[in-house]
Amino acid sequence: MIQPPAIPEIIQLIPLKSYLILSTALFVIGIIGVLTRRNAIVIFMSVELMLNSVNLLLIAFSSYRSDPTGQVFVFFIMAVAAAEVAVGLAIIVMIYRNTRTIDINFLKKLKG
Amino acid sequence: MNTNYLPSDFLPIIVQFVLAAAFIVVTMIVTHRIGPSRKSKAKDDPFECGIEVVGNARTPISVKYFLVAILFVLFDVEVIFMYPWAVNFKKLGMLGFIEMVLFMALLLAGFYYILRKGVLKWEE
Amino acid sequence: MYPIVLLSVLGIVVLYLGFLKSKSILLPATLLFLVVAMIGNFFEWNDGELLYFKGMFAVNKLTLTFNAIVLFSAFMIVAMTQGFQDNEEAQPAEYFALMLFSLVGAFMMIGFENLIMLFLGVEILSVAMYVLTGSDKRNLRSNEAALKYFLMGAFATGIMLFGIALLYGASGSFSLNGIESFVTLNQRSPSYLLYAGLLLVLIGMLFKVSAAPFHFWTPDVYDGAPSIFTAFMATIVKTAGFAALFRLLSHSFSGIYDFWWPTLSILTVLTLLVGNIIAVYQDSFKRMLAYSSISHAGYLLIALTSMTKQTENAILFYSMAYSFATICAFGVLIPVAREKSLEGRPNESYEAFNGLAKNNPLLAFVLTVSMLSLAGIPLTAGFWGKFFVFSSAVERELVWMIIVAVLMSAVGIYYYFRVIMAAYMKEGDTATIRIAPFYKIVLIAATLLTILFGLAPGLFEAAM
Repeated sequence: MIQPPAIPEIIQLIPLKSYLILSTALFVIGIIGVLTRRNAIVIFMSVELMLNSVNLLLIAFSSYRSDPTGQVFVFFIMAVAAAEVAVGLAIIVMIYRNTRTIDINFLKKLKG
Repeated sequence: MNTNYLPSDFLPIIVQFVLAAAFIVVTMIVTHRIGPSRKSKAKDDPFECGIEVVGNARTPISVKYFLVAILFVLFDVEVIFMYPWAVNFKKLGMLGFIEMVLFMALLLAGFYYILRKGVLKWEE
Repeated sequence: MYPIVLLSVLGIVVLYLGFLKSKSILLPATLLFLVVAMIGNFFEWNDGELLYFKGMFAVNKLTLTFNAIVLFSAFMIVAMTQGFQDNEEAQPAEYFALMLFSLVGAFMMIGFENLIMLFLGVEILSVAMYVLTGSDKRNLRSNEAALKYFLMGAFATGIMLFGIALLYGASGSFSLNGIESFVTLNQRSPSYLLYAGLLLVLIGMLFKVSAAPFHFWTPDVYDGAPSIFTAFMATIVKTAGFAALFRLLSHSFSGIYDFWWPTLSILTVLTLLVGNIIAVYQDSFKRMLAYSSISHAGYLLIALTSMTKQTENAILFYSMAYSFATICAFGVLIPVAREKSLEGRPNESYEAFNGLAKNNPLLAFVLTVSMLSLAGIPLTAGFWGKFFVFSSAVERELVWMIIVAVLMSAVGIYYYFRVIMAAYMKEGDTATIRIAPFYKIVLIAATLLTILFGLAPGLFEAAM
């Protein structure tokens, strides 16, 4: 790995590996949530958890490399996630108004 | 600064956590035990100043609340793009300013669309 | 570059045109804007390799050709919407604006030079598609499709983002060039961050192009979405997705070909098997088209796995042939299903096509050509698409993969011919279906192009 010269000492206190492990753990928790939960909102929250673990990882890499691009990407992820939240919640509200439930097990109209 | 910590150095933190959790649990158990408990229909009712209970608390909320909340989230988050610009305001110069004006113009175009669609009209 | 700026602005213009009393201006305006974007696209045709936005976006002949295919497909699909005049609840201005915005996302996916651009492109395209999928608000099937598409799409995006973060951690750069130089520098000593990142990005992208085993959302979403938007999804999302995958793999990761080709080849074979074999058991024509789109993702993956000099051309030609044929298929399905509607909703089963040829010879002919092209029968564009894909695999000596692919195309002939048989051989009482003249022109044009490129595939390369 190419190490740029100046990494602030305060950042070095916690090794990069810890951040990697933490964000991977959060990411895996998110994946498990998506795969096992049955409530659309909870699935959605798990997806947000995945996105935030990515943000954490990007910030960590970016700080350790003293390279701001990673942090710029985080801004984009946050903005796009907000747009996604808007659309996703709109879809969930639409379904709730039609069926009075957001349990994805009740959605079985489409079968082949 | 000492960068090498042994696991035993974290012991005070663990002790604090345990104490905090124990305090909550103990208080909850104790209040349940020593407090008198009298149950009646009137007591279990949701408190409504003696007025008869009206309907379910979970009535459908107008979709307008939802729309405003969502729009708030969208416009709120777009502001984060102004932070890097504000920090580097002098460095980015005129070009950065024009780009930001364009960005804001696009946001305002969306805002105008919302106004024309009547999303923010509460009276209707 | 021009089409991105033009369509971003013109999309907003379409949105504002929706405030006018008369909705009839929307369709011609949108078509005009697509033509303007097409002209803008060819402004840079002779400029060679161009970079925009501080090297974050590239324009060259390949990206321009992909743009042209996407724009042309979009033009045909928009023309087929007929301005949503038959639907009271439709919001044509919003639909058209979303389609134009999603094209911006497709262009960004086609020409990205930086992973930030790729992410933005994927998201612009997907978020617009989530809304369009759920645009039939009162229909529970459409609702369900939208929710499934949204949850799975957001999940895929999360996986892809984690991959991008790992790639950034390994190479310290988001730009394709930066990653490429890191890959070539470290060819000997593998960086596990890089490998894990590449795999996760691949999984995310394969989700979007619906390759097995990440295809499970596709049949439900394609089935539940309104047919016209299914056509949009099946053509434009797939073309843009494969353009992005090709760009990523050929540009940044050709140095570690030995690492990713075995993985990709297993997924290719799996996609071919799943798509073709399950398609046989479908009773609904629309659902069959969904599985067929999975199987076509498999053929395109063959080209991607072989990654030779021909791959570029093969993917271009194949996605063009596939797009035209798919648009024809949906173009026939929409009026037929509406005519034969059962219990208030369009009948999309094979039976709806029974006896179509007797009173609607044109529709039956268009359907036949598109099915032949999808099956890869000679004298149609689909044949040459498969030919180019297979010949690029031959160059890489991936014989076993070709054997699977050829066997699976034989399976494909069965389910593609089933609808032709229904149209010509079976008895049915299809009345003459009235279709608008403009609709007819689009169908005929797409069919003629399919035959033209089938007779003379060289025309396409000559145009390049």
